[in-house]
Amino acid sequence: MIHYSNVTKRYASGYEALKDVSLVIDKGEMVAITGHSGAGKSTLLKLVAGIEFASGGNVMVNGQNLALLKEAHLSVLRQNLGLVFQDHKLLFDRNVFENVALPLEIAGFTRHETGKRVRAALDKVGLLPREKAHPIALSGGEQQRLCIARAIVNRPSVLIADEPTGNLDQAYAATILDLFRSFNQVGVTVVLSTHDELGLARLQCRRVTLDQGRVVP
Amino acid sequence: MSAILASHRQAFGRAIGRMRSQPLASGLSIGVIAIAILLPLGLFMLFENITSAASRLNTEPNVNVYLALSATDAEAKDVERKLRAHANAQSVVFISREAALADMKQRANLGDLLAGIDANPLPHAFAIKPKSVDGATLDAMRADLTPIPKVETITMDFEWAKKLTRFARFAERLVFLLGAMLGAAVVFVVGNTIRLQMLTQKDEIIVARLIGATRRFVRRPFLYFGALQGALAGTLAVLAATALGRWAGSEVNALAATYGAELSVQVPTIVQAVWVVGLGTALGWVGAFVSVSMYWRQVEAAK
Repeated sequence: MIHYSNVTKRYASGYEALKDVSLVIDKGEMVAITGHSGAGKSTLLKLVAGIEFASGGNVMVNGQNLALLKEAHLSVLRQNLGLVFQDHKLLFDRNVFENVALPLEIAGFTRHETGKRVRAALDKVGLLPREKAHPIALSGGEQQRLCIARAIVNRPSVLIADEPTGNLDQAYAATILDLFRSFNQVGVTVVLSTHDELGLARLQCRRVTLDQGRVVP
Repeated sequence: MSAILASHRQAFGRAIGRMRSQPLASGLSIGVIAIAILLPLGLFMLFENITSAASRLNTEPNVNVYLALSATDAEAKDVERKLRAHANAQSVVFISREAALADMKQRANLGDLLAGIDANPLPHAFAIKPKSVDGATLDAMRADLTPIPKVETITMDFEWAKKLTRFARFAERLVFLLGAMLGAAVVFVVGNTIRLQMLTQKDEIIVARLIGATRRFVRRPFLYFGALQGALAGTLAVLAATALGRWAGSEVNALAATYGAELSVQVPTIVQAVWVVGLGTALGWVGAFVSVSMYWRQVEAAK
């Protein structure tokens, strides 16, 4: 499903974030990318979403080489991925419902279908009672759950989460990781980056460790 | 298909929402654009009216020859013969003093005033259509006709009407030039409004792009916003031009009536109004498109 083949990523500043990384993630798999800060975890995930592009090698998602995709096709690919960002990337002038509805607006869903799907997603992450609240009124954990609701509302086949438990306490982090586990159990491929060792032990999934841009064998 | 329609409906709804969320800023922008459209539209209407009035004037070259009041019918016949014999006279029309008086009574509604006068104050006259309207030829013609006995006055008063027509044509070009310049101003005003909107909604654009929005999806509400501003400003300009035309029209009519003339001030027709609103919409759309294209990279770079 996701195939990194001898991938190198070098930024304009000359910094090499990934060096000759090869990795295959199968459909329905749950993979945790671990490593110290600056190891290249976020870059690895950004390459799957086409937010960054490889300087060398190929990144294939569902058989499509991202480097060869046109802008419009890349947007369609992103619509089929669920992205959870470390800094949430929520819209603070929209309420909880409207934040989750954004991917459905982009996909052109009707108002009725949008309402149904948004409420289902909010119910799944336990935020349905707060649908009218604005993100500023939510706690860090709730904001992360809101970000997850937005990622799953399109019913994606792949969930990409960059440090989803990074700023949360242990109790909240466990709840979030349980959510990812539950999505994976219904067939969603989950790729997340974390350095939360306790959480990793709880997830019991494949672990890929990066060190200075290389996969540790 | 329904997804595309839903997307357009949402974009239109967002554009209206943005306008309603900033009523003062939106109102000011629309007002400025309306003034930019009203200026060339107002001038266009003014010159349309001048052209229309000029077209009703007799701009055909005529040389009018007025005889002395003492001239008899026989003397008038003698003058007519001489006028017809002139080398530059293409046609000669005799207007008897009786016919002139009857015409004056009818045209200028001066019946009551003229009824109080015992004698006819108007002379016999001739209207000559010259073969050549060249200045030197006409001067020579005047010199030839002046010595004819009983000829008292010769006028060649078509020049001003010709000048007016020429001025109206020049003014028309001026209006187009001004229209083009102010059209560019509309594009800049809309473009600047959209640029500010893009900067304030940078986060939304970035997030939308990250989760799969195409450029077209992001651009659409801005284009609708620009077009909507242009359409509203165009409508406002047409309404203002109509109101100004009606207001000035009543005064012009009253003034013309005192001279026994009928002069109606034209206001924009339905077709012209549709053109103006359409043009405003198109300019707004172009302004938004240019702005979004220019500032796209700036916003994307922040991703």
